[in-house]
Amino acid sequence: MLLKVILAIDMHIPDGFLEPVTAATMFVVSIAFLVWSWKKVQASYSRSFTAILAISSAFVFAAQMINFPIAFGTSGHLVGGTFLAVLLGPYAGILSMTIVLLMQALFFADGGITTFGANVFNMAVIGGLSFFIVKFLTHNSPTNRRFTFSVFIAAWLSVVLSALSCALQIGISPVFVQAGGIAVTVPSMLMYHMIIGVIEATITVTLLTAIQRLQPTALGGLTLLKVKVKQ
Amino acid sequence: MKKYLIASALLIIFLAVFIPLASSDPDGLEKVAETLGVEEQETVWRGLMPDYTVATVENPYLSTLLAGVFGTLTVLAVALLFGKTIRQKKTTP
Repeated sequence: MLLKVILAIDMHIPDGFLEPVTAATMFVVSIAFLVWSWKKVQASYSRSFTAILAISSAFVFAAQMINFPIAFGTSGHLVGGTFLAVLLGPYAGILSMTIVLLMQALFFADGGITTFGANVFNMAVIGGLSFFIVKFLTHNSPTNRRFTFSVFIAAWLSVVLSALSCALQIGISPVFVQAGGIAVTVPSMLMYHMIIGVIEATITVTLLTAIQRLQPTALGGLTLLKVKVKQ
Repeated sequence: MKKYLIASALLIIFLAVFIPLASSDPDGLEKVAETLGVEEQETVWRGLMPDYTVATVENPYLSTLLAGVFGTLTVLAVALLFGKTIRQKKTTP
């Protein structure tokens, strides 16, 4: 039976798509990032931050359910990694996305259990770390236009890098090796996600600039960035 | 408490409006797997609501909406509990 196609979500690797060694390695790597993030959050975040954390996590879950059509009869949806990273900072961003992924895997079998480590790395860790792309790009000239540009690039890159990571992981598994392996999975995943990334980046920029206009203090990640965005 | 109720209400409205508009075309990874003829593998865990549907509700819209609302509120609750683990600090960072 070919993959069933109902409101499903891109890049969530299902069980059986990864070799056990790859799956186990990604668990170890992801757990290391989660421990690091947990410590950083406990050390530097205040409890008043809970509301924005909870509400933005819930929003990302809801938004991930909504697939929009893209070219070639395929669809995509907001991943929200960069959105969370700029809103919450990289550490809480990683943990927030991990909560979303965990609930998707547990309740909806969206993304496998054995592949959970890989999915956390591809979406939560890469998404959270895209914060540093924003930080790097906005470093010297924190104007409104510069901020928008940085978020756009970071969001696009986070999706493309997640897709690349996913393509490499599945490409070396026996299931995909017989179909051509990395030589096939990498170009095809990149092709779709370079388009999906543009939509991701557009939505992320729209959401963050709207939040920044309505409630400038809400962007906790910006405080960490030490960026004062000029209107 | 009030802000959580408002946020939940807005998210439920968001799902109610957008679920009927959502595309059911295969997504990136599915499309790649489909093109390569890679078949769905044996799953370890099927989930309580596979494919974001509640088995007992026949109407597909309501079924997905219920699953979505359940998931959204669960994520909200779990993230809230996580937030509560953050120790209150004397000085704000």
